[in-house]
Amino acid sequence: MLKDITLGQYYQTESVIHRLDPRVKLLGTILYFVSLFLFNNPVGYAIATIFLATVIIMSRVPFSFMIRGMRTIVILMLITVLINLFVTQGDVVLSFWKLKITKQGIILAVQLALRITLLIIGSSIMTLTTTPNHLTDGLEKGLRFLKVIKVPVHEIAMMMSISLRFIPILLEETDRIMKAQLARGADLESGNLFKRIKAMVPILVPLFISAFRRAGDLANAMEARCYHGGEGRTKMKPLKYKSRDAIAYLILAAYMVVSIYLGRLSLFKIM
Amino acid sequence: MDIIKTQDVLYEYIRRDDEGEVTGITTALDHISLGIKKGDFIAILGRNGSGKSTLAKHFNAILTPEEGTVWVDGNDTSDEDKIWDIRQTAGMVFQNPDNQIIGQVVEEDVGFGPENMGVPTEEIWKRVEESLKAVGMYEYRKHSPNKLSGGQKQRVSIAGVLAMKPKCIVLDEPTAMLDPKGRREVIDAARELNKKEGVTVILITHYMEEVINADRVFVMDGGKIVMQGTPKQIFSLVDELKALRLDVPQVTLLAWELKKKGLNLPEGILTVEELVEGISRCR
Repeated sequence: MLKDITLGQYYQTESVIHRLDPRVKLLGTILYFVSLFLFNNPVGYAIATIFLATVIIMSRVPFSFMIRGMRTIVILMLITVLINLFVTQGDVVLSFWKLKITKQGIILAVQLALRITLLIIGSSIMTLTTTPNHLTDGLEKGLRFLKVIKVPVHEIAMMMSISLRFIPILLEETDRIMKAQLARGADLESGNLFKRIKAMVPILVPLFISAFRRAGDLANAMEARCYHGGEGRTKMKPLKYKSRDAIAYLILAAYMVVSIYLGRLSLFKIM
Repeated sequence: MDIIKTQDVLYEYIRRDDEGEVTGITTALDHISLGIKKGDFIAILGRNGSGKSTLAKHFNAILTPEEGTVWVDGNDTSDEDKIWDIRQTAGMVFQNPDNQIIGQVVEEDVGFGPENMGVPTEEIWKRVEESLKAVGMYEYRKHSPNKLSGGQKQRVSIAGVLAMKPKCIVLDEPTAMLDPKGRREVIDAARELNKKEGVTVILITHYMEEVINADRVFVMDGGKIVMQGTPKQIFSLVDELKALRLDVPQVTLLAWELKKKGLNLPEGILTVEELVEGISRCR
């Protein structure tokens, strides 16, 4: 039952987007997020959507696969949209009972829905096309400048990649403990929420003990293999910018210029 | 010259209660002195709690002795400056295959050791390839370690140590969590390394069958070395081994029982072939 959980859901295929340097993708995602909040006119949204659509097509990840990640967020989105729809003050278009729908409300709701959709799909592009390993490498190298202010960048990246490696192992372990407790007559599925949370205790305690033991073992194994922090460490797969990364940066820059320019245009402004 | 030498090594585990008062002391290593020759295949036998894993951890400075000295390739393990040299000289493979693989891809895990040592990138790739080939895991280099069997994971761990070009590999019960097939894979890989690459192998185990081909065997009990010698010498002492609650290989046990019943068989039979030959000579 726990095997269905996939984290950092990477989609394996060959594409330009997959081959891009993770640093480009990281910065690209951040810039794309920023751009979404720069404008509030239809042309801006059209350009953001076209940009995203182009990237999706280039990534060769099936669109249906991306939508899958949206499902969980749909409820959250509906709530936000509905609240905006009914709460916003302005020219009333439709009213029944105590609820009023205003023109401004509709516009705001549509904008929000669009923004959230673009945000989620935009961020999933990065996780879908970058292996977790590559991502941590990218973070480590891309954020190296933070070392100046004493942020332990290497350590954080190492912790991330170790956690990613142990997620499936600990999931398997949880499954095993659950089965062991079920075999001893533990009741995990009946009762109210509070009861069920309480029933999780005999699962979490052994899980934590085992996780700590694993951590101790792993620390020993890492030390035995001469691990002593990021100092003097070389890379088996060092990140190197290629020409395609330069082109990607240029495209990003162009996209940002267009977004900022559009954001300042009042010509198409809706509100 | 001895690659590993210990002199009067003492190590104690001290248990304390919540107030920090000492409630008990377990002497894990009780004045151990031994020497291990370069290029040998050494086996250290002993039941649970005999101190064999504690001894293993002294061989690459994960633990340092309270009294006495451990030298690895001439370096004292309590010398802080030499610690990385020592760990590079004496690589270590642990019991649980899941808890010692760091990388998310086989080849990346094998490259972890050389990365830490600061080996240049091209050299790392060369070493990873060689090490994976040496343990027969090269085809799996792009796989995720989670998808491998226990024996395969342990072979990857061995490759990870091998990529550091150690002179000596310490295997601390590498087969304890494996099925018979995985056990054979791992032991064969270790033996291969010893023969072909001339790496000193120290195998810590409680499976007697894995000991048969060792050059030298140490038997530990209660933190002391109670027996040492070639497998033949050790296994001819069936009564003593039984007193230490160690199992003797089935063939050896059968030969021993037959001999007790009056058959004229040689001492210390270790393989089926030897027994067959011995019995056919009896007539």
